[in-house]
Amino acid sequence: MKTHRNTKARFVFLLPAAVWVLTFTIFPLVYSLYLSVHKVETKMNVSREKVPMLDASGNPVLDAKGNPRTKIKINREKISTWTNIGFTNFKRLAEDPQVHSAIKVTSIFVLVAVPSQLVLGILLALLFNQRLWARSFLRAVMLLPIFATPLAVGYLFFTIFYEEGGPLGFLGVPFLSHPDWALFSVILVDIWQWTPFCFLVFLAALQGIPNELMEAAKMESKSKWGLFANIIFPMLTPTIVIVLLLRLAEAIKLFDIPFALTGGGPGVATQSMSFLAFRTGLRYFDLGYASAMSYCLLIIVMIIVTLFFRKLRQSYA
Amino acid sequence: MKPKQNQHPLKYSIYSLIAVVAAMIFFFPIYWAFSTSLRNPLDTFTVSGFGIPFLNFEPTLTNWVDQLATEEARKAVYNSTVIAVFASILALALGIPAAYALARFRFKTISNKDLTIWFLSQRVLPPVATVVPFYLIMQFLNLLDTQLALILINATFVLPFVVVIVRQTFLDLPIELEEAAFMDGARNYGAFLRVALPLAAPAIAATGLIMFAFTWNEFLFAITLSSKEVITIPIHMAGAVDTRGVQFWFMAVRAMIAMIPPVLIALLAQRYIVQGLTLGAVKG
Repeated sequence: MKTHRNTKARFVFLLPAAVWVLTFTIFPLVYSLYLSVHKVETKMNVSREKVPMLDASGNPVLDAKGNPRTKIKINREKISTWTNIGFTNFKRLAEDPQVHSAIKVTSIFVLVAVPSQLVLGILLALLFNQRLWARSFLRAVMLLPIFATPLAVGYLFFTIFYEEGGPLGFLGVPFLSHPDWALFSVILVDIWQWTPFCFLVFLAALQGIPNELMEAAKMESKSKWGLFANIIFPMLTPTIVIVLLLRLAEAIKLFDIPFALTGGGPGVATQSMSFLAFRTGLRYFDLGYASAMSYCLLIIVMIIVTLFFRKLRQSYA
Repeated sequence: MKPKQNQHPLKYSIYSLIAVVAAMIFFFPIYWAFSTSLRNPLDTFTVSGFGIPFLNFEPTLTNWVDQLATEEARKAVYNSTVIAVFASILALALGIPAAYALARFRFKTISNKDLTIWFLSQRVLPPVATVVPFYLIMQFLNLLDTQLALILINATFVLPFVVVIVRQTFLDLPIELEEAAFMDGARNYGAFLRVALPLAAPAIAATGLIMFAFTWNEFLFAITLSSKEVITIPIHMAGAVDTRGVQFWFMAVRAMIAMIPPVLIALLAQRYIVQGLTLGAVKG
């Protein structure tokens, strides 16, 4: 395939997608950066004016005295003023208690949910790597949450955590009404949704370990734990790192579940960074400040993602 | 590593029992929504036991019938379907040729590897970072509250799946087949259209399904860019919380409607999920 494959045709194949991605990601990101150093104020100018009433054929309607009748027309005009305020938005971020709370909520969420998903995923993968009753059926059931609509999952658990009469009501736990429990509930739901994904990936990785290697290892190490610690775990490490980074990058964007389950509450107990940025920008229309907020989130994600892609690059080699 | 064939019966029973319990935990919430959706609203919180239809309560289809009879519900299903189908088609149309280029041609200025990673990198981009600019852009283009806006944006966000899965599929195809086509006088486009594309069809179909599921589930952009006309299923669901409080029975129906298609897709496209969701880092 040497001769044909250096033709200009390769650009015909690649360019549409490349141009598309450039337009739809780079442009909004640059725009967002520009927004973040501005204060955007939107005012609605309402004015009234008298206009003559017209009938169906466009002629003015006359009143009894023969004067044209008028009606009042209301003109609404949206006026946005953009003021360059430099890094004021970023300074405001550093002092905003809402932002501090959102960072705390997101950090606790990520630091509890992601490791739990990984550990549970590995344990379940080890379990399902044994001979089991109805193994493939049970495995299929475990996969149901993977693509379940996150927002629907949030509402689903709202009915399950409902404190008066829900199926877990007998526990007497204030799942949604106590700030700490509410965050815990959000974490539980995320664990429910994402553990199956970790499980599936680890199971694939486990099944990729060659049988000969396992047999040889069994000869050498006596205990099961020794087998896991010396052979299985090191073989799984690259996959664990990949899943960890991927889950970190995803979990930090937490939005749908608290939106449905708690509405960010009680108070701001489950208001994540994405949720706060969304509210600031699209509920209070403080567009510049919201952009500054989401840019900070973007930078954090980029740090994680750079690590991830370094690993990914190796795995492509 | 394959499961062992000879295993102690006691171990087998204990492990199987743990696996059954684990599967039940993951199944329970979905089952609960299903059960709630079949209950008379009055029974919602008074059922005993595990809320098993016929055993613990008399099931009724009223909630389903009432919900599906509303215009908003049908509109939501229609909008979600149209947006998911067209976003997937658009992403496939853009992504398949790019995946082919990355698998079969050599780029010099930027290496194929870096180009691939660049395509994948938007998958991990936080959507909230682009939601405000997209809102302003769509407002400027007069595209707020249209299906087109959501199709365009969703296509962008699912494009990486095509690049990951289809590129790998092309790489795994024996190149001799395309070389044979060249011997027969085909050009690049002929080899792509007549040889590579049909062979990659199963992977392409699976990718299409995964993209459909992701677009179907998307909420942040939908709630930002739509207000009353283009209500998607997740937005419709968020609307079930109204001033009268949460109507659990309708919520359960809506949650089931939302979840059935993507959950089925997860079962159908299993093989490609690992590869797609780990962006190709782990082969399924």
